[in-house]
Amino acid sequence: MAAFILRRLGGLVFVLVGVSLLTFFLAQMVPADPAGAALGSNAREEQIAAYRQQLGLDEPVVVQYGIYMSRLLQGDLGNSIRTRRAVAADLRDFLPATVELTLAAMLVTIVLGIPLGIIAALNRNTWIDAGARILALIGGAMPIFYVGLVLLGVFYRQLQWLPGPGRLDSTLQPPTQITGLYTIDALLTGNWPVFTNAVAHLILPSITLGLFSTAVLLRMTRSSMLEMLGQDYVRTARAKGLGQRLVIGRHVFKNALPPILTIVGILFGSLLSGAVLTETIFNWPGIGRYATTSVTTLDYPAVMGVALVAAIIYPVANTLVDIGYSIIDPRVRAD
Amino acid sequence: MNGRQPTRLWRWSALLVLIAMLASACAPAAAPSAPAAGEAPAAAPASDEITRANTLIFAADMTDIITLDPAVAYEFGGILPVGNMYETLVSFNPGEPEIVGVLAESWEITDAGDVWSMTFKLNPNAKFASGNPVTADDVVFSWNRAIDINKSPAWLLIDVCQMTKENVVAVDAGAVELKIPKTVSPNVCLSVLTFTVAAVVEKAAVEPNLGSDFGEAWLNDHSAGSGPYVLNAWERSTSVTLDANPNWWGGAAPAMKRVILQNMPESANRQAAIETGDADIIQDVGPEQAAALEGNPDVTLVKGLSTLLAYASVNASMPPFDNPDARQALRYAINYDNIITLLGGNGELVQEIIPIGFAGHTGKNPFTQDLEKAKELFAKAGVTEGATIPFIVATGTGPGGVEWATIAASIQADLAQIGINLDIQQMQQSELLTKYRAQELPMLLMNWGPDFTDPDANGTPFSNYEAKSLAWRNSWNDPKAIELSKQAAVELDPAKRIELYAQLTEYVQNNGPYAMLFQPARVYGLRNNVQGFIYDPGDTPSISLWLISK
Amino acid sequence: MLLQRFLKERTAVFGLAVIVVFTLIAVFAPLLAPYDPLQQDIPNGLAAPSPEHWMGTDKLGRDVFSRMLYGARISLGAGLGVVLMSAVIGTLIGIVAGYVGGWTDEGIMRVTDIFFAFPSLILAMAIAGALGPSLQNALIAVAVVTWPVYARLIRGQVLILRNREFVQAARAVGAGHGLILRRHLFPNTLSPLLVQASFDMGVTILAVAGLSFIGFGAQPPTPEWGVMISEGRNYITTHWWLTFFPAMAMLLAVAGFNLVGDGLRDVLDPRLRR
Repeated sequence: MAAFILRRLGGLVFVLVGVSLLTFFLAQMVPADPAGAALGSNAREEQIAAYRQQLGLDEPVVVQYGIYMSRLLQGDLGNSIRTRRAVAADLRDFLPATVELTLAAMLVTIVLGIPLGIIAALNRNTWIDAGARILALIGGAMPIFYVGLVLLGVFYRQLQWLPGPGRLDSTLQPPTQITGLYTIDALLTGNWPVFTNAVAHLILPSITLGLFSTAVLLRMTRSSMLEMLGQDYVRTARAKGLGQRLVIGRHVFKNALPPILTIVGILFGSLLSGAVLTETIFNWPGIGRYATTSVTTLDYPAVMGVALVAAIIYPVANTLVDIGYSIIDPRVRAD
Repeated sequence: MNGRQPTRLWRWSALLVLIAMLASACAPAAAPSAPAAGEAPAAAPASDEITRANTLIFAADMTDIITLDPAVAYEFGGILPVGNMYETLVSFNPGEPEIVGVLAESWEITDAGDVWSMTFKLNPNAKFASGNPVTADDVVFSWNRAIDINKSPAWLLIDVCQMTKENVVAVDAGAVELKIPKTVSPNVCLSVLTFTVAAVVEKAAVEPNLGSDFGEAWLNDHSAGSGPYVLNAWERSTSVTLDANPNWWGGAAPAMKRVILQNMPESANRQAAIETGDADIIQDVGPEQAAALEGNPDVTLVKGLSTLLAYASVNASMPPFDNPDARQALRYAINYDNIITLLGGNGELVQEIIPIGFAGHTGKNPFTQDLEKAKELFAKAGVTEGATIPFIVATGTGPGGVEWATIAASIQADLAQIGINLDIQQMQQSELLTKYRAQELPMLLMNWGPDFTDPDANGTPFSNYEAKSLAWRNSWNDPKAIELSKQAAVELDPAKRIELYAQLTEYVQNNGPYAMLFQPARVYGLRNNVQGFIYDPGDTPSISLWLISK
Repeated sequence: MLLQRFLKERTAVFGLAVIVVFTLIAVFAPLLAPYDPLQQDIPNGLAAPSPEHWMGTDKLGRDVFSRMLYGARISLGAGLGVVLMSAVIGTLIGIVAGYVGGWTDEGIMRVTDIFFAFPSLILAMAIAGALGPSLQNALIAVAVVTWPVYARLIRGQVLILRNREFVQAARAVGAGHGLILRRHLFPNTLSPLLVQASFDMGVTILAVAGLSFIGFGAQPPTPEWGVMISEGRNYITTHWWLTFFPAMAMLLAVAGFNLVGDGLRDVLDPRLRR
């Protein structure tokens, strides 16, 4: 197990260096002056020159990258050109919002995707199965930005059943920061009104974000279950007269689980991608929106920061899934 | 077997918990987030409880906020809270054009030989939110600090006022003297001093927190001013929360005990927020949203002209627009009515370089579309039918709430009628600015906002090539325009000055590289119970939150 | 024979029909569209669907139906362009990695790791932003994030095939690398390639529309579906037709490609048959 994790870590370091190089290369391709962009249309030439110098933009590219990497090794992600503070500080402020949204969407995915997939498989070729497959088809093909706009329009603007964009009603103060996840912090501090409000604010964006992955997981669960249901030993178990629930629980689902789990890990990546669009629509102060604004303003130190963090989260999530996988199925470790 | 089942489930959920922990590990262990109400600088809990009824929620696109330090703030989003937390020596009364005293009770401008001497007598009643009096020492400290920090707005003091650390002195505890060279107009300098960069911070509060950045970072999470509001919290990218200053000396206590400036970049979200009552005021209602909200009995729309001017400009060193006739032809080719229609009332036709509301604005709009004349002038300039000219336009929405590309398409259609082909190329604003500054753009669409409330804030950039601003970016080096703009800037006699600006305006109108298009309006949506809202773009802040009640 | 099996998959045939219809729309958009998709008629803006304008008009009075038809051109073209670009590049690289093996393989796979580490939309956005927002650059950006999928897929196939008997046999009789690659390896990777390409058409259409929606793809006034939804986002509750029709077009087209992908996989790769 230790060797397995070590190998993963080694790969991660390589990936991070690659990611930083790639983003740095991208920043060099930009046809505009980031300092000028940050200072706006009225800025005078001297101001821009001074800011360029302050940012070290006049150094040769290699030197800039060297400075960046040496700082990075000390845990310094550099300074944002637009917000003019440490990228690490920005990420600290915005990452928890994305993590909370992504986890909520993952929850939606698992809570909807797996049971619906199982039910569909158990009722193969009935209208229930057809309904689930149509749902999966639509969920997998619908542009999520349209879904978000419609959900907001209907449930917030028209019906007013659910709160609007943002993480909390603006009249509520965020809970004392412990994890940065409003729901968890509110629970830990026993702040019930904030907890319920934060949960209510999560409903629409997490459904929007989770729709696509729900569709994928539903399909995966259904097919994985069907495969297992077709296996001889299941038929045998059924023939032996074991109860349906026992067969499903003990044999089928257990064996259908590993591929499902793999998909869950992979879906993290698509959720982080989807967060970019979801956060824009739902005014969600996460790193997706931060990345969007940063790209717009050519704030590549910030983009690099987001990329590095995303590049860490994704493999780590996958590694965790792999570890979980290897607990369930020890054969994987042999690889 | 049965015994192991829960274990697996447990492992499974343990995995999720692990992920959650990983997530929280990425969060700061104990980040110094917003100061809790108790530790807010000297903000004693307001006498009455804060409820939704005495809380004002103001929703706007405030993505541009990068600081709440008055010496650094230069963005619309930042100036609004800063201008309501800090006070300057002088200011405009909301909605009125005369400069009045705020922290300064009176001031005197005298001719001191080779310099102007401006002496400000401080109001003895003025005190900070902490309860300490505002002294000349605080003023000198604040201005020196802005000069030391030397960020975006500092040039207003350093260049426009020619302020140095040496020429600002505290005469006594209650008076400050500023000496400026004769090349600077004291009236221009006075209008610069109304801007937040000249606001006064409490030396005693800031000095212990200077750190390595002159206290910039500290002032992002604390306020140290004398204005009607104090900072409660700045949730980055989400909101700025202001609480009424219980010690405010300047007038009746603000009716709104708390003001929440909510960042809401999506205009659809702002519209929904005002419809549902989640916001009391929204900023920047687009033309089509205005149409939707007009029928809403709970919402009132308030429109105020901004001080921006939108224009199309051409590079005067590149053919065909190196020829003045071609430039004039362009101005006759544009259908201005169409553009105003596109704006749906969110803008006024303005064809000169001085905006409505500024001294020196002439109100003359000499151009209406005249395709025959345009064709003739283009022919005279040697431009033949079928000529193609690149037309660079920013992506996204311009002021007035219409996409830049839409306005460009309208101009493209106009020129197509006389056989001239505009090739619209879209660029991000940042790239456009870079190329514009490098004098590389043959033709573009842009807008300009004056940096201070004086015609010189437009006269120089539009006319003076040497100022390396707009005239320079368009390679328009015209000695007459340069001379006129310099003369007008320093002229002291108001009537003569207006006459000079009228001359300059007319000259640039007919010879310059610009087709001035419109002055966009800023539209606010207000819940019906909101009262006392005034939008005055020439004032700092442009919205006086302390006057609002509901 | 494969075709017959495919035609037995009813949902796949439905998907294929949808794709054929959209392809026809894309090709014949100028003939089918009742109006010029860019032609403005401002006084007649925001008109509800009517016999003159089947899907209503947008705020500039442009015909939504005509714009939607032209949008098929852009979206299908974008999908095809990206899939071709990334499949060709990915396949070449994947074959090299799988066939040469060793350090080359290791190096190439680590490079693909870097691309997989990014959430694809964030990387695509960063690339599109660096190149400058335009449809063409959005396509390049999406292709850059898509090729590693093909590289890995093909490499995996080649690794399996490389040790198969017929390849070993060919090698034993002295067949050159080029011949082995051309005759034995490449043809056998075609099935999974086709399945992947079909799914990627859908993914790409959504990704390009997503980029356009946030301003990094096609720019207004281009009649692209993502742009149309972005332009209509303020009217979602009042003028539903502005966003509904392009969204439905996208849903149908993407679902069509996904159904065909499912069908192809079932037919070409019986192991994965569900």
